[in-house]
Amino acid sequence: MSTAPPAPPAPLEVQEPEQEEVVVTDRPWLVIVWNDPVNLMSYVVLVFQKLFGYSRDKATRLMLQVHHDGKAVVSDGNREKAEADVARLHAHGLWATMEHPS
Amino acid sequence: MARRFARRRDGHVDATFERGELDLLEGLPEQLRTLYGTDDEDPARTRLFPRAYLDPTEEQAEAEWQALVHPGLMEARLDALTTLETTIAAAEPTRRDRLVVRLSAEQANAWLGVLNDARLALGSRLGITDDTELATLDPSDPNAPTLAAYGWLTYLEGELVETLLGDLPG
Repeated sequence: MSTAPPAPPAPLEVQEPEQEEVVVTDRPWLVIVWNDPVNLMSYVVLVFQKLFGYSRDKATRLMLQVHHDGKAVVSDGNREKAEADVARLHAHGLWATMEHPS
Repeated sequence: MARRFARRRDGHVDATFERGELDLLEGLPEQLRTLYGTDDEDPARTRLFPRAYLDPTEEQAEAEWQALVHPGLMEARLDALTTLETTIAAAEPTRRDRLVVRLSAEQANAWLGVLNDARLALGSRLGITDDTELATLDPSDPNAPTLAAYGWLTYLEGELVETLLGDLPG
């Protein structure tokens, strides 16, 4: 019994979904704060509340995430907003960077 | 002993010190001005002015971002040093041989910035890690005096943070 040759691949209509392009363009930049051994946990909570208007609970959750996981996404937005947020975090001595998830 | 930082009804914060403590704080601006003005290779300075972009393909965006924001970040830091100096110069003696520095909310935030920058700079120089033990200093360690100063600034900043957290929603 012979094996039938593999069926030719069905012609794939490669549809570049236009929507995806839009999504890629709109995907926000992420502002990341990294753990460091100097900044006080209470200070980091204070800065998150002051800069982003977060509740004490949310600021504390993010601080603990930085502390335990080494980093946390603290805000997002377009490139300009992310650059401004990183600058404000640096003004307060936090180690922050921005990246565009691919 | 009276609280280190006492919130007054008009919103001011009164900070109480001994003369020697203020001497230590008064020495910070000169050290930090020197550090701010030093070249980019110094790890302590790099810690205070880190990169925004880790992605090496964003080198141009990084350069543009630094050109845009670094002058403002530097100016704010220098202003905070001046605030620390002028408020300490205006300190008033108490009857108990201490000195009280009266701070507006804005001035208290400037103090917080200076204390934090000083600790970041010292921490970088000292190689502070999460495991650094400050409670038990080895007197034979040549870094012991600097570690002690770092520890005291850490305590002081913690007290100020607790006071200022009281202004934010709990």
